[in-house]
Amino acid sequence: MTVNTESALTDLIAGAKASASRGRPTLVAIAAFVAIFTFLAVISAGPISFYQVSSIASSGVPLAMAAVGQTLVILTGGFDLSAGAVISLVNVILASQMQDGGASQLLWCVVGLAVGAAAGAVNGFFVGFMRLPAIVVTLATMFIIQGITLLIMPQPGGGVPYSFSGLLTGDAIPGLLPMPVVIVVAALALWALVRNSRFGTSIYAVGSDPDAARANGISNAWTKFRVYTLAGVFYALGGIFVTAQTGSGDPLIGEPLLLQIFAAVVLGGARLGGGRGGCVGSVFGAYTLMIVVNILLILNISAYYSTIVEGVILILAVLGASLSRQSAFAGYLRLGVRKLGALRDGSLPRRARDVVDAGRNDLPPPRPDDELSSNPVRAWFLRHQDTLRIVVPAYCVLLLVLIATEIAIPDRSLGIGYLESLLVLTSFLAVLGLGQGAVILTGGLDLSVPWILTLSGVLLTGILAGADIAPVWAILAGLLAGTVLGLVNGIGVVLLGLSPIVMTLAVNGIAQGLALLYTNGTPKGWAPPGLQSFMNGEVLGLAPVAWAVLGFVVVATLLLGRTTFGRRIYAVGNGATVARLSGVNVGGTLLAVYALSGFCSALAGVMLTGFNGQAFNGMGDAYLLPSIAVVVVGGSLITGGRGHYIGIFGGALALTALGIALAGTMLPNAVRDIIYGLVVLGAILALRERT
Amino acid sequence: MRSTPRINEASRPCGAGTPGKLLRRGCAAVATLALGFGLVAGPAAAQDDEPYNIYLSMSYIGNDWQAEAKSMIEAMAKHPDYEDRVDLNIQVSGPNAQKQIQQINGMVQAGADAIVVYPISPNALNRAVRNACNQDVVVIAYDAEITEPCAYNVTIDQEEAGRVIAEWLAEELGGQGDIAMITGVPGTSVDTKRTEAAKEVFSQHEGIDIVAEAPGMWSQAEARQKLSQIMANRDWDDLDGLWMQVGCYTAAKMQIEDGVADEDVIPCAGEASNGHRVQMLPPGTIEGVDEAYRPIGYRSISYGSPPYSGALALKMAVAVLDGTEVPQRVNLPLPLARTGEMEFCEEGTWEEMANGCNVFDPNLVSPGWFADIYGPWTPEVGFQAALLGEPEDGGHGSFEEEFDAEAATQ
Repeated sequence: MTVNTESALTDLIAGAKASASRGRPTLVAIAAFVAIFTFLAVISAGPISFYQVSSIASSGVPLAMAAVGQTLVILTGGFDLSAGAVISLVNVILASQMQDGGASQLLWCVVGLAVGAAAGAVNGFFVGFMRLPAIVVTLATMFIIQGITLLIMPQPGGGVPYSFSGLLTGDAIPGLLPMPVVIVVAALALWALVRNSRFGTSIYAVGSDPDAARANGISNAWTKFRVYTLAGVFYALGGIFVTAQTGSGDPLIGEPLLLQIFAAVVLGGARLGGGRGGCVGSVFGAYTLMIVVNILLILNISAYYSTIVEGVILILAVLGASLSRQSAFAGYLRLGVRKLGALRDGSLPRRARDVVDAGRNDLPPPRPDDELSSNPVRAWFLRHQDTLRIVVPAYCVLLLVLIATEIAIPDRSLGIGYLESLLVLTSFLAVLGLGQGAVILTGGLDLSVPWILTLSGVLLTGILAGADIAPVWAILAGLLAGTVLGLVNGIGVVLLGLSPIVMTLAVNGIAQGLALLYTNGTPKGWAPPGLQSFMNGEVLGLAPVAWAVLGFVVVATLLLGRTTFGRRIYAVGNGATVARLSGVNVGGTLLAVYALSGFCSALAGVMLTGFNGQAFNGMGDAYLLPSIAVVVVGGSLITGGRGHYIGIFGGALALTALGIALAGTMLPNAVRDIIYGLVVLGAILALRERT
Repeated sequence: MRSTPRINEASRPCGAGTPGKLLRRGCAAVATLALGFGLVAGPAAAQDDEPYNIYLSMSYIGNDWQAEAKSMIEAMAKHPDYEDRVDLNIQVSGPNAQKQIQQINGMVQAGADAIVVYPISPNALNRAVRNACNQDVVVIAYDAEITEPCAYNVTIDQEEAGRVIAEWLAEELGGQGDIAMITGVPGTSVDTKRTEAAKEVFSQHEGIDIVAEAPGMWSQAEARQKLSQIMANRDWDDLDGLWMQVGCYTAAKMQIEDGVADEDVIPCAGEASNGHRVQMLPPGTIEGVDEAYRPIGYRSISYGSPPYSGALALKMAVAVLDGTEVPQRVNLPLPLARTGEMEFCEEGTWEEMANGCNVFDPNLVSPGWFADIYGPWTPEVGFQAALLGEPEDGGHGSFEEEFDAEAATQ
């Protein structure tokens, strides 16, 4: 009897603990929101009015809806880049078709939802049933959907009746309850239904452990298919609301939302890679991001500081809410104290190395692998089978694009000029691919590429314009700035335990502010002549940078594949805990990886400055998505642990060749987007792993 | 003639649309005085003790154009005529339309008298702008447009811009030749208007073939990327001319690097960047700073969306708040300049620019810096304003006659 009561009590406590720890990320997100909202209320002159609440509630709906959809995808371990594009598509369909009258409004809302579901279903089909990597599939569908959107509406226009806007953005109960709040709550209620259903359980199961889920009779494919479809419906809801909010159509309306969506989801406590988080947290994450606008307004932050303050608020919001005994920072603090103690006692693990080294000589000599064939070629293929499988597809795409180029414009064949252009234009992505690739291999993502790249460029030309020093010092200063900011990324990720997406997004904003402040908006000076001829001159028939790229490939391949540092990156990506227990310095490795990525961004910035002859603010904006695309087209897993630099380089070559092929045509931009997407999708489809 | 201001829509009767505020500020008294766009600045117009709360909502700030526009607005607010009359608060929303909507709502809440805005989208802000107007807040968009009728717009005629430079190129080529087009940001109305107008012109010339087209995103860096892609399997001999929304400077630079002689650089219809305009000067006029940023007698036409539009919008906002009648839409004169019309600015004062100088010292500004900063109605701001945010000494007065004369001809 006593025993039973006791065990029941223990179960109860364990259950409460478990549910508290499951709900913790959501609570953290809510706490962050409450903190930032309180801050807003404190700094506001008067009390926060109903109008203010209703206005904030309304502006945040599209982001919140999109974040809910994205959360579903991320819970299954996926990643959906098409979210912003679906919002735009639904927006232009509604704005171009909807008429006066309730019937038309209802009809087109239903069509909008169906379009979102269909777009999601396409993603779900390829990710679920074809087992293609989510990020590549959704990158491809993003371009295809953008193209379709531009075909439907090539420029902003159209309109919906005022009654429609009034209905969705007005008040449900005048002066008391804004309609947007009702919509968000309804969406969360839908999520609650889903979550408590078998489908909901399977979402978490698939995201936590696909094999275990399968063993328990859950179909991974169907779960993912449904999740992407449902996510599409939520994006469509966002699109419908955007249409009501703006009363019109704009084919570019959804695109800038993409990064914010990820930030909202991560602020909401979901973990990339799946299995943890929930939609409630993401909604609060979305509103936290939106409120920053009002805070900047009240604090009267000067324009060039605004992205810096935004970045700092982002970091503080996550940090303030998550600091606790369990946090990474506390963990490192404890570790540090213990290490100090060990140093005093002389019991540091380093001391043990001598013993191990002494023992190493006693190990038996390596056994020749008896599985290897005697045929050296065959042996080589056998040995590198896994690598080849991830590396070859990118080169097949390259080959197909080259053949297509040759067929399309036969009179201007692929000569030395083409080769040079290809290598020069690839060089930026080749460099960025190493940094972004290394980060992705550890399971992270570096969103600070655009402005670290820009900052190093404007620093380089600015220093040269202001002082009479050798260009090499200015270049070094640019590279150093990038490396330091990369290191800051690493510190945030490692020591503060922040999600890479949040941290690098914040650092991107900080780097933007620094670049704008340094240049006062208009960059000075120009690239040193030596750098310009390195990028645009000629040595042995090719631009020097074209030769340098080949050398870079060798160095990068060796760095990732043949060094201890490289092996540690893979180890961390395959599982940080296992890596730590195996003696890998996880924190140090991550710091080095982010510093490497910062360095690569800065190097690309220096090269781009040489290529253009000067640096421009904003010149890095065009490189963020491509830097991720080359890594994943090159065969790397977005969740980390798998990838090869040769593949990444192949991805860079293939996407650059595709860009050249499309720029040489007279096709409308919309059609180019669609072709770009179809090529990427077709390539990975044709060469997918057969299992 | 470099200034041909046009006013599209009839001037709005004083007070219409925002009766409350304007009447409060003595609109009725001014209405009899101001027949046109009377930008009468100075003590005469000062009638309120409190300075106006004017908010600037910028969407994106990361390029030269936005930085110059911002500096010129700041300079205008610092000018003695406005210093005590305007409390300027500058905010940046980023490229996300929802954030700009929320920002505008927030500004209305914070008690803005007027909001000067660089809109991220021509129509996405309409509902927020409508709401601001309903609360008697004056909303003025510069450069990019807002389609909501209650907003004021200061902009250029984008179709005309695309058309005029296309006509120039067609004429320069004698109606014969293969050309490449580098367009702007696909999906925006500015890009669509410019590009379609230009294609319309080219389609009327049978001999002109557009052999390649790519979006240059209004960035020299992106233009170079796209032009390099286009040239990957071409020689410069294969092209006879270029039509670019931004990138002529870069195109000439690429040709110089590829060993094309100065006089053989192909004609280009394009942007108003200082690099481009320096290249358009006759060779030897001034000393260049490197092999590309120097006078080469580039056969070219330079146009742009002038960055002083924001400063003018601020001026207009004050005028509207003062109760002056202001046209709902101001189409700025296209800052056109052809080879042979280029003139080097010694100081870059507004005076000097008014007398025709339009190229600035390459040692002071980078090639990507926009040089079309001369506005006939903004004597408060010159080169120092665009560069450092400092207003001109003196430089104030009324431009009623000029503006009215043009308005009367419409």
